[in-house]
Amino acid sequence: MQPIPLQARHEETIVAAVDTSSMKIGETATGTLIAVRGANVWKQNKSYHYIRLGPFVFHITEENKREVYNTLQTAYFNTQREQNHQNTPNLLQMPTRIASLLERWLQTMLTKTMNNGLVLFDGSLTSGTADTPTPLMKEILETARKRQIVVLAFSKMTSLRFNGHIITDIPLNHNPPYMLETAGLKTKPPIVLLGDIYVARLTKGNYAFRMDIDKQVVPEQRIEAVEKLLGNDLLSQSYPETLRLAHILCTFTANEVIAMQHFTAQAYGLKMVNRPDMHRLLFGPFGKGDVNA
Amino acid sequence: MKLYKKEGNIIQILSFQNETAEKGDYLLVEDADAGKALIAQVIDVQFASIPGILEELLRSLPDGGELIQGEDFDPLEIAPHITYIQDASLLVCKIRATVENESLIPSSSWLPSRSQSAIKKLPIPALIKLAKIDGKLPIILGGTKDSSLLTIDATSLDGRLNIITGKKETGKSHLSKLLMLNLVGYKASVVVFDLNGEYLSLGMTADGKRNAYHDKIHILTPSQNFKVALKQLNLHVLLEILIHALHLPGTSAREFRRIWQSLKEKDMLNMHELGEAIRNCHCNQHVRDALFSRYYALVNSHFFTDNVAEATLLEECLFKAKERGGAIIVNLRNTSSIDRQIVVEYLLAKFVELLTDSRLKAIFLFAEEAHLYLRETYWDDIVTRMRHFGIFTTFITNQPDTVRENIYRQADNIFLFNFTNEHDLEVVSRAARVDAETVKSIARDLPPHYCLGLGRVVRDFPMVVKVKALDVKTMGETRLFFKDTN
Repeated sequence: MQPIPLQARHEETIVAAVDTSSMKIGETATGTLIAVRGANVWKQNKSYHYIRLGPFVFHITEENKREVYNTLQTAYFNTQREQNHQNTPNLLQMPTRIASLLERWLQTMLTKTMNNGLVLFDGSLTSGTADTPTPLMKEILETARKRQIVVLAFSKMTSLRFNGHIITDIPLNHNPPYMLETAGLKTKPPIVLLGDIYVARLTKGNYAFRMDIDKQVVPEQRIEAVEKLLGNDLLSQSYPETLRLAHILCTFTANEVIAMQHFTAQAYGLKMVNRPDMHRLLFGPFGKGDVNA
Repeated sequence: MKLYKKEGNIIQILSFQNETAEKGDYLLVEDADAGKALIAQVIDVQFASIPGILEELLRSLPDGGELIQGEDFDPLEIAPHITYIQDASLLVCKIRATVENESLIPSSSWLPSRSQSAIKKLPIPALIKLAKIDGKLPIILGGTKDSSLLTIDATSLDGRLNIITGKKETGKSHLSKLLMLNLVGYKASVVVFDLNGEYLSLGMTADGKRNAYHDKIHILTPSQNFKVALKQLNLHVLLEILIHALHLPGTSAREFRRIWQSLKEKDMLNMHELGEAIRNCHCNQHVRDALFSRYYALVNSHFFTDNVAEATLLEECLFKAKERGGAIIVNLRNTSSIDRQIVVEYLLAKFVELLTDSRLKAIFLFAEEAHLYLRETYWDDIVTRMRHFGIFTTFITNQPDTVRENIYRQADNIFLFNFTNEHDLEVVSRAARVDAETVKSIARDLPPHYCLGLGRVVRDFPMVVKVKALDVKTMGETRLFFKDTN
């Protein structure tokens, strides 16, 4: 494996990033209250800007979950991709599934409104999961390419291994910034890799990330895109500031959760139900609690 | 508002944007089921400890300390709810009393319901009525924050030891004038040790006309219209002056006593004969020199006279004041430190003498910066022995550490103006009738002319009042060099 050395290119390029977050804010007698929020952050003329959408609060019940999900899908993409009853997410999955819908929509909007820039995704360019339908992901990447946008996806965690090691742990005797191309990774249908996978070590230190770059982009353009990222965004611990800000801006803080509980109680008279923590109840100090509760 | 916590006699109340309460305000925590209510005073206002607040603040400043520019699309309008939660405040309150069956009990031993208690502001007029602060002889101190008047009862100053303290230019003298004039209005006899000549124009309105008190204000300026004849003096009074003000040694004092008795037997008690007697005294040369130096100090003070007719004004004024109320202002401005001590020693002894003989009823004594003329041993004397004779003192000072700790412990009323210095607040908080938290928390934030009343005058419900203006001619203003420039 040979590292690809990188040099920062300082020609003015817009760097934009998308992230969303979801949160279960409580349980009611009939269902669950969830909130999602998304943020677009971009760096232009040396300063950061953002648009933050939400929080959107949903009261999901067994009765309305399908309707809510399908309505959102239709509203965002003018299509219902999961008409199959079995594909409708269960209550536990709903926060992440609705957040994913919002994230795809934000990514679509960004690629449709920008020109000649870099768009950073949180995660990978793997498609074929319930959250990443292949046609939609392909459509996003295609729109990006048409507008001279290169999509780079950064994963904070990866399970991909090379010679038994997690790919981001592979030590190399080379000074950052550089990226390392991985090859020969195979996936099982319906999972499709829409990007080529790299290990990006963009600053000094021990941090490296899995970085996916659109397969359809020519190798020279890929390198150029990463070099433009180096020249136009702040990088701390190998991670782009734009993406970090997008994450920070959409994450819910504890006081926001309290505020949303206050809002639902005030506006809709919804009462939260405090279900007993069965782990604590049964095992006392040995019960660690249900993380999904 | 919601009751959050109770520890000892401190309760913490969660309050939101639309429920404003400030330091000094009173709250009523009413538990309808228990049939009781707590009266608590806000002594501090803090931010409520909201989880996640640090993250919220940090994420708004990610770009090298500059605010990141952006737009929020918030269709459900949740942002106001977030602000509502973030701006929640915690009111730290001190329990002052319990209301049960419309009567006050100084107790904080019961616990009101956290979920059911109704918390509301207790307006000062309601509290005054409940605590029966205003009595038959009302003195209007000024306005409270809720635009009501704070009225105290003059009897709560009767027989009491009071302290008025605060840093410079906060309005201490103004309050003492207000109390004094009101006491005079109720026919009380008031004596003021006026160090800076601030009380000399109390009989005049701001525009220089005579006011209602004009005939009741008597100005005594030592060595001018206020003199003493030796014949009017008791030996022990003069010995007190010689020993304590002029530091006469014991041996010399014994010789003086002998000289005095000899002159008295011959009915020759006057300054001239005293000088001659010391000159002709068959005693040790050092003793004679010591006596001579003190004698000349007395002569040079011009406070002593051989003309008895010149020395009657004090008693005349006191008796006038006894009949129809009045204030005797002892003008100590331009009086040297030694002479001040001589005058004060004489006056205190004279008051005790007149009160012991029941020739006077009682005296309200206002002493400004008393440490400048009151000898060490007099502090205890004033608050214990002299109080029993009927001298009720009000100390006025901007240096609280000059008043001895035991005075604070025995003070019945404290009128506290702004202090920012921790040490000063520490000193005042030693008073028995106040709690340190209240003093330290509220006094630090008092604006000029606002005073925290503590003690009997407010029935132990500390209250903040803006001292009302007086239509009297202002004296004692600091002379400024750049006055005309401004």
